[in-house]
Amino acid sequence: MAEPMVRLQGICKRFGELEVLKGVDVDIAKGEVVCILGPSGSGKSTMLRCVNLLEPPEEGEIYIEGRDICKGPGSGTGEQSWELDFVRQRVGIVFQQFNLFPHKTALENVTLAQETVLGRSKQEARAKATELLERVGLGDKLNQYPEMLSGGQQQRVAIARALAMDPHVMLFDEVTSALDPELVKEVLDTMRELAEEGMTMIVVTHEIGFAREVADRVVFMDGGVIVEEGPPAEVLESPREERTQKFLGLVLDH
Amino acid sequence: MSEFFNQYFDFTVMFDHFDEVLDGFLKNLMVFLVAAVLALIWGLILALIRQLPGKKFMPLRGLTIAYIDVFRAVPILIVILLISGSLPFLEFLPKSIRIPQWFGQPDPYWYGVMALTLVYGAYMAEVYRAGIEAVPGGQVEAARSLGMSHGQAMRHVVVPQAVTKIPAPMLNELISLLKDTTLVGVIALGEAVLIGREIQSETFNSSAYVLAGVMFLVITLPMARLVDYLIKRNRGKITRGSHIEVA
Repeated sequence: MAEPMVRLQGICKRFGELEVLKGVDVDIAKGEVVCILGPSGSGKSTMLRCVNLLEPPEEGEIYIEGRDICKGPGSGTGEQSWELDFVRQRVGIVFQQFNLFPHKTALENVTLAQETVLGRSKQEARAKATELLERVGLGDKLNQYPEMLSGGQQQRVAIARALAMDPHVMLFDEVTSALDPELVKEVLDTMRELAEEGMTMIVVTHEIGFAREVADRVVFMDGGVIVEEGPPAEVLESPREERTQKFLGLVLDH
Repeated sequence: MSEFFNQYFDFTVMFDHFDEVLDGFLKNLMVFLVAAVLALIWGLILALIRQLPGKKFMPLRGLTIAYIDVFRAVPILIVILLISGSLPFLEFLPKSIRIPQWFGQPDPYWYGVMALTLVYGAYMAEVYRAGIEAVPGGQVEAARSLGMSHGQAMRHVVVPQAVTKIPAPMLNELISLLKDTTLVGVIALGEAVLIGREIQSETFNSSAYVLAGVMFLVITLPMARLVDYLIKRNRGKITRGSHIEVA
């Protein structure tokens, strides 16, 4: 098998006394869509945030495209290490709360990092941003400020903003959890299209339906460890582990 | 009762000395304008140093915090006197710094500007800090995740949002600064209050003080109203910049 796009090995993470991740191992192949499920507090968001070093792990190794990004002095600490640049250039993330820049228009949200980080010219960045915003169905909202947009529209701008950096992997951290129910679909549709185009995606979600349809693999986490993983049909329809069964029972029961 | 009126509201005294007092008040304004600009810049620098991340910058952060604490805690008058009393005698400095007379202003003017900048820089740093801390952490996370450096995130994302949250407290500091320019009279800058004292000792009448006070009111009262207006306007705008969905 080819080298995995992302490989986590023995990842441990503590917040003070609280041990959030207790040795997580997982490989994600290029072009694979992996959905992470689990009850709140299971460590799934923390694991996701480890992948782009927003939360540097205390123990374990993270490989992106075969390179260990937790090595060397000052590594994983988020301080002026080459790893940080390496990771942030390859890994895009979309947050639950969108985190759009409220003082910038939709277009500027998507051009800012292109210009400051990648050094693209204004025209180049604008062209790329316009194309991406049209792709997520917001071609008519380029000059709107985030406060004028609905939650679903804001989240699609956030997806376009991350894509503008030409990431090799996209992380989605419960991106529909803060949305009104009627706005969830437009965001999931955008993600589905992205998956069909072959993007490598790690998706922390509570949307079982999305996981069933789009994911190549489902990972179920609980208590800081991976309890069970496999194809969605297997894990979602006939879970082996009791904890998975219990969780799915609670989630699907309504 | 008429003694009271004569002591404080003798219009003859006010009229006779109006030009002198106004002349003095213009010096207050000149000190204020330059010190305000410098303090706003110096305060932002201090606030940004305080936000530098990581262990590497710990000593620098500690020094900055110590500076801010000390200069907020020391009477401004002492700072003014420390500078004017001994800066001229620090022979290792060039004369243009020991006895500054830049832009045709006398040395007491510049000693005053220096002291007020040092002190109000510390106050402004605290105001900026409040603004920076009011920007949600998710903003920095988003900027950093897009590959921006700490400096880029501060410059393009955090500071532009921070300054929209603090015009009211900033104006309050500026009002204080304008009033504190009267302290520079102690080192013989002929500002409004010092002129008032000279007139008082000539006429045994306090009307010149009242006149000076009115001149300050003309500037500070509208500023105080503006603060109230800004606070009110901000309250209506509380959702702007927050992440709560406003669909």
